[in-house]
Amino acid sequence: MPTNDARLVTVDPAAQDGWVATRLDFLVNWARAGSLWPMPFGTACCAIEFMATAASRFDLARFGMERLSYSPRQADVLICAGRVPLKLAPVLRRIYQQMPQPKWVISMGACASTGGMFDNYAVVQGIDTIIPVDVYVPGCPPRPEALIHGIIMLQKKVMQERLKDRELHVEMEPDPTSQLYIPPSRIDELSEPFGNSVHQTRSAP
Amino acid sequence: MTAPSDATALAPILSAAVAEDSNGSPITPGLIAHRGGPVNGTADTLAVQFGEAVLRTEVVWGETTVYLRADMLHAAVRWLHDTPSERYDYLVDITAVEYRDADRPLEVVWHLRALQRRRFLRLKVELVKRQPLVVDSIIDIYSGADWLERECYDMFGIRFDGHPDLRRILMWDTYREGFPLRKDFPLRGRFSRAEQLKQALAADPEARYSVNELSIAEAFDSLPEDMKRRIAARDETARDNAAAEFDA
Amino acid sequence: MLRNYLPVLLLLGFVILNAVLILGIAHWTVRAQPTAVKLQPYESGMVPLGDARDRFSVKFYLVAMLFIVFDIETVLMIPWSVYYRQLSCAVPMVNNVCPTGQLSFFGLGEMLVFMLILVIGFVYVWKKGALTWD
Repeated sequence: MPTNDARLVTVDPAAQDGWVATRLDFLVNWARAGSLWPMPFGTACCAIEFMATAASRFDLARFGMERLSYSPRQADVLICAGRVPLKLAPVLRRIYQQMPQPKWVISMGACASTGGMFDNYAVVQGIDTIIPVDVYVPGCPPRPEALIHGIIMLQKKVMQERLKDRELHVEMEPDPTSQLYIPPSRIDELSEPFGNSVHQTRSAP
Repeated sequence: MTAPSDATALAPILSAAVAEDSNGSPITPGLIAHRGGPVNGTADTLAVQFGEAVLRTEVVWGETTVYLRADMLHAAVRWLHDTPSERYDYLVDITAVEYRDADRPLEVVWHLRALQRRRFLRLKVELVKRQPLVVDSIIDIYSGADWLERECYDMFGIRFDGHPDLRRILMWDTYREGFPLRKDFPLRGRFSRAEQLKQALAADPEARYSVNELSIAEAFDSLPEDMKRRIAARDETARDNAAAEFDA
Repeated sequence: MLRNYLPVLLLLGFVILNAVLILGIAHWTVRAQPTAVKLQPYESGMVPLGDARDRFSVKFYLVAMLFIVFDIETVLMIPWSVYYRQLSCAVPMVNNVCPTGQLSFFGLGEMLVFMLILVIGFVYVWKKGALTWD
């Protein structure tokens, strides 16, 4: 049923990527996935677990993450490990904006993904309210195996990219007045409490 | 730090502070009573020195707490610091307590230690909640009181008279939701999450530099002219704003 | 004779090709998306304050200068040491052997004079305090 719904994607079965394009895609993606240089934005306990993952027992170097970079200019992946206080939010945003394309973000741990156990006045309830995230690794802290699973997941995501896709790796401009990437209602929705923390809104009489 | 002439004055106090074993090292006391333990001698000397400014003394878990009147606090701390027989030379912490019961006053707490004499003293000042929350700053006695008092201001809204640079330290400078550790402050803050993020992202990173800090760091001279003017101007407005916010 | 230098030419060609390839591929495939924040200098996520052009302490320059002078001295000692056997022979050597009884202090003396001149300079530098870091 032909409709004019703009959300529907039409696929022309006759049109395929050529042989060269697919080989080039594979080459570029293989190079990128195999050498993701991380920038560890480690703030808390997850940073310790990240260090453990990078150390000899669970070696991150075998996944190409040999060189940790503390400058965003030379990094491909921003691994946010640990809780991000609201005071640190503009810093994280600026560091993400200073990374050159192509860039990805791994949100490591419960606090970076959703605010974790810190559902309070001072902690960002998930860094996806500030910067776009590709992979979320749950855990408090996630075991090294879990982080490695997240990294492999990111590598698979990178392998599926296509060079001719112009929507990928485009710098997002935040809303100039509010500096938010996503609408406020969505941020509130993402930061809503759930479970036991719903009962903690009461304040003294 | 003790002058030789003080040694003889200190010697009897030193030996009486804490039990020592044969090597002269202090023995950690065990089986400490909840209430009614030995009182730190300073409490009595304070009562003698300051009379009715000392409201009461409590000993909880072996630690002596002295409740003082707010106006005599600075004099008392100065006396505790300077008197050779007392010499409380280490300020451990300044904090505040607000109780669940609405009629109990806010208590501002100072923890002092006399390192040479191995004594610990807790001073408390009670502030009635509906009145202005102001105490004297002891930054001229202990320079470590600087950030401790800023933290107390940031979290409870207690102003410290005489502090040269009383501004927020844990939350950002333009934080408008209030004072987070007060009991009437909801856990998640007063604004919506989107609004909090918006305000956090808009917080001016230059705001954390005051003229004081930059002059000390000798970096002020190398800043561009317009920035120097902006920072100097901001100090004026920040002080006015803080005063206005307090009065409201 | 010129054929010996063919590898050098090949190397030169390869180097130029490599440089052109690297810069060329980067230039023609990159989709640069500069934004204002991206172009600012990195200062740990903070807004950078002031100028990065600080004044350098002159002691670095002093150390470099002294190093150069005494390094040149060392460098000049090298050819002297290569010819030391010939220099310490009063007559031209026969079959790479100095005839007996013809050893002289000429080579040693020359170098000692050279070093003495520089030692005087060294003592001057030392006494002036240029060797202390602070």
